[in-house]
Amino acid sequence: MKKKAILYLNQFFGQIGGEELADHAPEIREGLVGPAMELNKQLGDIAEVTHTIICGDNFMGSRQEEAVETILGFLADKEFDIFFAGPAFRAGRYGSACGHIGKAVKEKFGVQVISSMNDENPGVEMFKKEIYIFKGGASAAAMRKDVKAMADFGKKILTGEELLSAEKEGYYGGGRRHQVWLESEVPATERVVDMLLKKIHGEAFQTELPIPPSDLVPIAPAIKDLSKVKVALATTGGIVPVENPDRIQSASATRWGKYDMTGMDRLEAGAFKTIHAGFDPAAADADPNVIVPLDALRAYEKEGRIGSIHNYFYTTVGTGTTQGEAARMAREIVEDLKAAGVDVVIMTST
Amino acid sequence: MVKEIEKAGFTIVQMANLIPVAKTVGSNRMVPTISIPYPLGDPSTPKEQQWKLRYHRVGIALEALETDINEQTVFKVKI
Amino acid sequence: MKLEIGNFYVKDIVFGAKTAYENGILTISKEEALAVVKEDEHITEADIVITKPGDKVRIVPVKEAIEPRHRVGGGPVFPGVTGDLMQAGDGKTLALKNCSVLVVGKHWGGFQDGLIDMSGEGAKYTLFSQLQNICLVADTDEDFEKREQQKKNHALRWAGMRLAEYIGGCVAELQPEEVETYALEPVVKRSQEVQGLPSVVLVLQPQSQMEEMGYNDLVYGWDCNHMVPTFMHPNEVLDGAMISGSFMPCSSKWSTYDFQNYPMIKRLYQEHGKTINFLGVIMSNLNVALEQKERAALFVAQMAKSLGAEAAIVAEEGYGNPDADFIACIVALENAGVKTIGLTNECTGRDGASQPLVTLDIKADAIVSCGNVSELIELPPMEKVIGELQSLARDGLSGGWAEDELLGPSVRKDGSIIMENNAMFCGDRVAGWSTKTMVEF
Repeated sequence: MKKKAILYLNQFFGQIGGEELADHAPEIREGLVGPAMELNKQLGDIAEVTHTIICGDNFMGSRQEEAVETILGFLADKEFDIFFAGPAFRAGRYGSACGHIGKAVKEKFGVQVISSMNDENPGVEMFKKEIYIFKGGASAAAMRKDVKAMADFGKKILTGEELLSAEKEGYYGGGRRHQVWLESEVPATERVVDMLLKKIHGEAFQTELPIPPSDLVPIAPAIKDLSKVKVALATTGGIVPVENPDRIQSASATRWGKYDMTGMDRLEAGAFKTIHAGFDPAAADADPNVIVPLDALRAYEKEGRIGSIHNYFYTTVGTGTTQGEAARMAREIVEDLKAAGVDVVIMTST
Repeated sequence: MVKEIEKAGFTIVQMANLIPVAKTVGSNRMVPTISIPYPLGDPSTPKEQQWKLRYHRVGIALEALETDINEQTVFKVKI
Repeated sequence: MKLEIGNFYVKDIVFGAKTAYENGILTISKEEALAVVKEDEHITEADIVITKPGDKVRIVPVKEAIEPRHRVGGGPVFPGVTGDLMQAGDGKTLALKNCSVLVVGKHWGGFQDGLIDMSGEGAKYTLFSQLQNICLVADTDEDFEKREQQKKNHALRWAGMRLAEYIGGCVAELQPEEVETYALEPVVKRSQEVQGLPSVVLVLQPQSQMEEMGYNDLVYGWDCNHMVPTFMHPNEVLDGAMISGSFMPCSSKWSTYDFQNYPMIKRLYQEHGKTINFLGVIMSNLNVALEQKERAALFVAQMAKSLGAEAAIVAEEGYGNPDADFIACIVALENAGVKTIGLTNECTGRDGASQPLVTLDIKADAIVSCGNVSELIELPPMEKVIGELQSLARDGLSGGWAEDELLGPSVRKDGSIIMENNAMFCGDRVAGWSTKTMVEF
């Protein structure tokens, strides 16, 4: 039985028309339109393209939510195993449209999404972490080649073949680093010596761990008068009530907790402890305030230096926790902070 | 985690021993602590001294929240 | 210093009346061997089980691996640990190759313990599936740590070393089948030719982050937490001066077997006099406070500079906050004008999307990477288990868990398992064996 694929195109490649028809509302057609024919051919015995979706680039650009919702609605009763969008070449609005709809389809239906764009297409940076985007040509002259790359990879996914690295497959890396066994079986010692000699002699070499550029968030404004504000304490040091009621993991945490300290002047040993596995817990077990400094903060509260302390502190374990999980937990904590009317946060890390 | 909370608009200060780690993960306001297992009180020192250190450094954290900065900043501590 | 390691290539291991080695067959008297193990009254139960590559066997919780050896002319295999202090790395030592003593908990595991599959899909994750293993499966009365996640495993680890020395003793009077020679002239007395080659130091960062004694790697019996970086002859490392500790998540661990055979040292010896002038080893450490990390980096950079090193290799036994020591050391060396290569593993999370090391710096521009500690590994049941399979889930092994909302428990009813690479015994082989690397998807 052939698997089923659906392709997304813009108004131009969907043969509606050019720029003047870029406001074309989304539509779905049974069968093959434009590049869908080539895609269908390239998918061969493995899969067939059952439908083509067409949407004007400006419609997707200016009424994105409506466009995405309409298209997800089209797909709700369709059976499909994989979703393609483009190729978008160097067309910026088209690339971004492929990304928006691809991301939404992947999230909603759990299928893999494959697109193709030229490296100057802004859609690449916007969506390479969300969907597979193959390195494509600058113009439609590359159509056949780009469609083939998309189809070949789609076939690998559909048949469960082993997927190689982004570089080997030819798509833009999505920032997911995983371990692989080198086919050559070259041990680390050889790789070190090779890199060492090249570096010594000023020859080009390639690190196995490229350092990513740092990614900073805008600095939140200073709060000039703390005497009116509510301060929350948070930690990644794993301080929890001794029974660890939320079963927060001692490494690679996916859970966080918030614990009441109303009326407490300090966190007492015996009532709280750390479950962090990355360091010797003795000091923190003997005095949890060395990680969550409630006693010191209470003193500032009594002095009137700060308005009040939020009744709950927030806690999880930092070691081995993925950034994705940490970000999710932080977003959940943020909701709680907002609901509690917290103004500022002191985070202690271990 | 700090970055995500700051992104949501909260002014936040991170108290951490590994300042290079805090910088790498994108903290903007940082106050150093003394170690990983006991950030704010060395168990080999008297309780009184631990308290002084903790009170001082939490005080610096409060100052950090009040201070305008335009780049990632590590606030100096005295004890 | 000149070290000769005389090798005996073990083809088969069997039990018999007398411990002896003949024609590649290592015979072990179980009774005698267990008597050596039980010299420590803290050992309450002990057995020895032999496993070979291809056996349908899963071993867990594995605490340590040691190559059986004998020091010619007397003296302990591990000076300052299993006997008196003496100079290691100068003289003759005999080694039984293709085999190791594995120290296995009969019941209880801990954060630092790991798993070995001798065949099937899981075998590719660790070097020890390729060796014939003399598994010491034992329990102790160290009740104070029975239910602690962090265990010193003192009685078991020391019993393993005694057993390795006892077995190694059986070749004391025999001629080795092959002799490896490791010799370096004093740093300033090498030939013009060698001095003219680019000079290289190897910087090792063994695990030393526990402030309480008993968990860290030891150098001549001295806790590495209590040292600042020091200059060592590579032969000392190969000849028992270093022993492994009981702290680090297991895939990042350097076992004592790794130190005894340290591949990066052996590889640099091969280049010595040809493409490089191998100066020696700067033995650094890993710390828990920023100031300690910075101090260690200062010492390393100064020593490398004073020795005239043009290039360095830095290898770390760990991940997480040890990455801060690793990067600080590389940056200090680069700032001192020493061209530096890093050797490590990464923690990019199960989804691969996390920052690979907790600190990063653009000066660390040449890194060889050996794996992702948090990669998920799912393996089918194995016919036989040595140790106790439940330990993976129950005892807080760094790559195991009792329950997970999405994945269920690490150990399933049918004996199949799901775990993080973290719990694979010395799985990332950062000492240099690794044929794994990291790539972007």
